Amino acid sequence: MTRFLNSQTLILIGCSLFVVYLAGIPLVMLLYGSIRSAPIGEPGAAYTIQNYVKAYFDREFYLLFWNSLKFALGSCAISFLIGTYLAWINERTNTPFKKLFMVMSLIPFIIPGILSTIAWILLLSPKIGLINLVVMGVFGLESAPFSIYSMGGMVWAEAIHLYPLVFLLMAAAFRNMDTSLEEAALTAGSSTFTTFRRVTLPLMRPAMFSVLLIMFIRSIESFEVPALVGVPARISVFTTKIFLAIHQFPSDFGLAGAYAVTLLAISTAGVLFYQKITRREERYATVTGKGYRPRVIDLGPWKYVTCASAFFIFLLAVIFPVFILIWSSFIPYYGVPSMELLERVTLANYHYILNYPLAITAFKNSFILSVGSATLVMLLTSVIAWITVKSKVPGRAFLDNMTFIPIAMPGIVLGVSLIWVYLTLPIPIYGTMWVLLLAYLTKFMPYGIRAASASMIQINRELEEASFASGGTWLQTFTKVILPLLMPGFVAGWIYISIIALRELSTSILLYSYSSTVLSIMAFDLWEGGQYTYVCALGVLMVLLLVAMAFVARKFGAKIGIAE
Amino acid sequence: MAEKRFMVQIQNLEKFFGEDRERVHVLKGVSLDIPEGSLYTFLGPSGCGKTTTLRCVAGLERPDGGKISIDGKAVFSAGERVYIPTNKRPIGMVFQSYAIWPHMTVSENVAYPLTIQHRPKAEIKKRVGDVLKIVGLQGLEDRPAPKLSGGQQQRVAFARALINEPKVMLLDEPLSNLDAKLREQMRFEIKALQRRVNITTIYVTHDQGEALAISDQIAVMHGGKLIEIGTPHQLYSRPKRKFTATFLGLTNLIEGKVTELGGDSKSGRMESSKGTLSFIPAPSLAKGQPVVMSIRPEHIEVIKQRPQVSENVLEGTIKEAIFMGDAYHCQIAVGDQLLRVHTHPFLSMNIGEKVYLHLDPQSCNGLPAEDTEGVDESMMGL
Ligand SMILES: Nc1ncnc2c1ncn2[C@@H]1O[C@H](COP(=O)(O)OP(=O)(O)OP(=O)(O)O)[C@@H](O)[C@H]1O
Ligand SMILES: [Mg+2]
Repeated sequence: MTRFLNSQTLILIGCSLFVVYLAGIPLVMLLYGSIRSAPIGEPGAAYTIQNYVKAYFDREFYLLFWNSLKFALGSCAISFLIGTYLAWINERTNTPFKKLFMVMSLIPFIIPGILSTIAWILLLSPKIGLINLVVMGVFGLESAPFSIYSMGGMVWAEAIHLYPLVFLLMAAAFRNMDTSLEEAALTAGSSTFTTFRRVTLPLMRPAMFSVLLIMFIRSIESFEVPALVGVPARISVFTTKIFLAIHQFPSDFGLAGAYAVTLLAISTAGVLFYQKITRREERYATVTGKGYRPRVIDLGPWKYVTCASAFFIFLLAVIFPVFILIWSSFIPYYGVPSMELLERVTLANYHYILNYPLAITAFKNSFILSVGSATLVMLLTSVIAWITVKSKVPGRAFLDNMTFIPIAMPGIVLGVSLIWVYLTLPIPIYGTMWVLLLAYLTKFMPYGIRAASASMIQINRELEEASFASGGTWLQTFTKVILPLLMPGFVAGWIYISIIALRELSTSILLYSYSSTVLSIMAFDLWEGGQYTYVCALGVLMVLLLVAMAFVARKFGAKIGIAE
Repeated sequence: MAEKRFMVQIQNLEKFFGEDRERVHVLKGVSLDIPEGSLYTFLGPSGCGKTTTLRCVAGLERPDGGKISIDGKAVFSAGERVYIPTNKRPIGMVFQSYAIWPHMTVSENVAYPLTIQHRPKAEIKKRVGDVLKIVGLQGLEDRPAPKLSGGQQQRVAFARALINEPKVMLLDEPLSNLDAKLREQMRFEIKALQRRVNITTIYVTHDQGEALAISDQIAVMHGGKLIEIGTPHQLYSRPKRKFTATFLGLTNLIEGKVTELGGDSKSGRMESSKGTLSFIPAPSLAKGQPVVMSIRPEHIEVIKQRPQVSENVLEGTIKEAIFMGDAYHCQIAVGDQLLRVHTHPFLSMNIGEKVYLHLDPQSCNGLPAEDTEGVDESMMGL
């Protein structure tokens, strides 16, 4: 038998071990660290439950818990309402201009969280917020009507950042629903409303529920809004508490670990729940892969109302933030738009950024990390997806779970875990780009595996067997047949990962050093230093880079793969 | 055929699917020898294990026991722990879905078996041209593969299977994705193609008409076992097993008991509820054994007046007669049994009429009635 130690076995075993390393080690080290009495490497450290005692017997803990919950549930609810409403208008009604909606919804998707948070501070801050100043001027108010520095403000900023994902997921759910099921109800004599209540809603319920859960997980692990808005407003949530526990002097790693484990438990519960839901959803999935022509509801004159409401949402969610970012990037000091300032429009901010040595390093690092992690994650998960979808290797379900585990790890928790890992293990990469790369691989693996297995499932087994029957080896089959067929999913996953990698903040902020600074960290530092106009210029450049990368990836993907 | 060489030999093939409690025994000791240059068909009802057997030959499934050799060389042997992977076996395969790679053009698809061996460009180009000519697709080299019709895709699949001059070509229901008309036409093309390149071919189908039309030999399978092997003509007119008789074409079965067997076993008699009947016995039949006699509807002669001969003549009443153009398809009640009879369209068939049926002994096959080896009784009488 020549089955052992050929290229196939080596690649498969290598990739599997790597996944276990990426996902498993941080988890183990985090749990370990949270029950150690002293910081890593210090002599005399012992096992203890003191960290948990300290965390849970602090009165502030319950406030923290309550704040995190309010923040997560609020963001989740508002983003869900906005996103679902837009998705419904877009997929199922004859609202005019709905082609524009997709584009409009994707724009906030590309804007990094730190920038959208900054934009909302510039719009809603009680002192300098543009919307506040305008409303005060128009209505002659004494004080600012809105304040970003409140729970409401935080929820709003987070929800606006999250709703595009709801839009995309719900639009897909609406699109994939077999409308003949609804038509059957109509022909059976039920009214439109009854059909909606008895057929549409139950069919959509699993999808809706899973989207809600994703949004909940996303907002409970969110870092940007709590850090930039919550900290000055003295509204603490888990993520910022962990961050502060490490950033205080001296760092309290044990306490950070205890909080991190708690947060991890919450998000893991969410993910497990989510998996249970989606598994059931798959069971009665009405999707057969055939493109249904969704039944479009004629709204009559109401279509102008839906159109107007959609544009109002876009005005708030897209146009205002984008405008304020661009505006601020062209003015010499921060101020409300006025004729006087308009005359002083300048490129000085861009000039400053592009001549700032650290900025060049940050651009280079971010670009390398983003392209590198997206490519490596997609290659790795393509192989893993082959194992879990196509092969019959025992333990493939375990591998699938391992690849998916990091989805439950909030960025800040992953950061804490990796500090433990690389300060303990004798691998001297702490503070280098490598540790960031490994962190990104771990963090984005779940997105990669989802994109890769979804496309892998679609590849008919015979397409690959035909290659074996033609004399192809496993490696030839994988590179010449499977990868090209996987290309649409590969490229989609690559674009998504490179975008989220380029704006990654919550993990990097615990792991970077001066020489491995990335763009989002630089933005964070500039903001903390009060250099608002520089941040905005940096942000605009970041978004341009993101758009260019997505564009190139699509072009390139279309060339090597099959056109979608 | 002076000396037959066997290209593919399968011995006692065993295959299980699933684990533990869900483990199912899919192949139960299948053995067969496939002569060089022949078109050999695996025929049987859905789920009988034809595809599995084929995939074992291809190496796409790993059997749990037995031995397979191709051209005298073992490609799988449980005893000697031999397993040659698919890509090292001298085979070409046409899949049910054709498995044309949608990201490649026609010539890229066809050239693949050569490209991966890094053959010189000029050689590849020439051979692609040659093989496309054989399947009748010249001029379509640069078409993107998804832009082909079903029939053209199939030809591409054939070209790809043939280009590397394999020793065996494996076809799994290659016609089942085509519409009825094209299917008829492709039968002849496949047969002609196979004759032209003279390649040993294994053909899997559950369509008995297709099997009869194109095969040199047919292996009838059922429930993971081999039922019978023979030429289409043998299996149709002289089946040895009840399952074969019922699965291939229409037939009538009359039950009884063997009362007499000729010494040369060329003739036999049985006692049945319809009287004494003569037949040609299957070799495994013994005197005193329960027997079923199988006779095809087109071998029953309908006579209006009482005939001179009395051997194998039954009396019946016409219950149903459907005009089919080239024949009447009748159901005729004989005692408590309805026999299917096909008659010449010129003979008028009136419902309720009394007629005499002559069952030519040469066309009556006496088969063992309790012949259940490998046969699931519920599938009988399809
Ligand atoms: N991967 C598998 N796992 C479990 N059982 C299988 C698998 N593949 C086939 N089987 C079972 O093995 C049996 C034989 O399958 P096979 O595909 O060989 O049938 P077939 O004769 O080709 O039928 P058909 O005419 O429907 O294609 C069936 O009962 C089938 O359910
Ligand atoms: Mg089959």
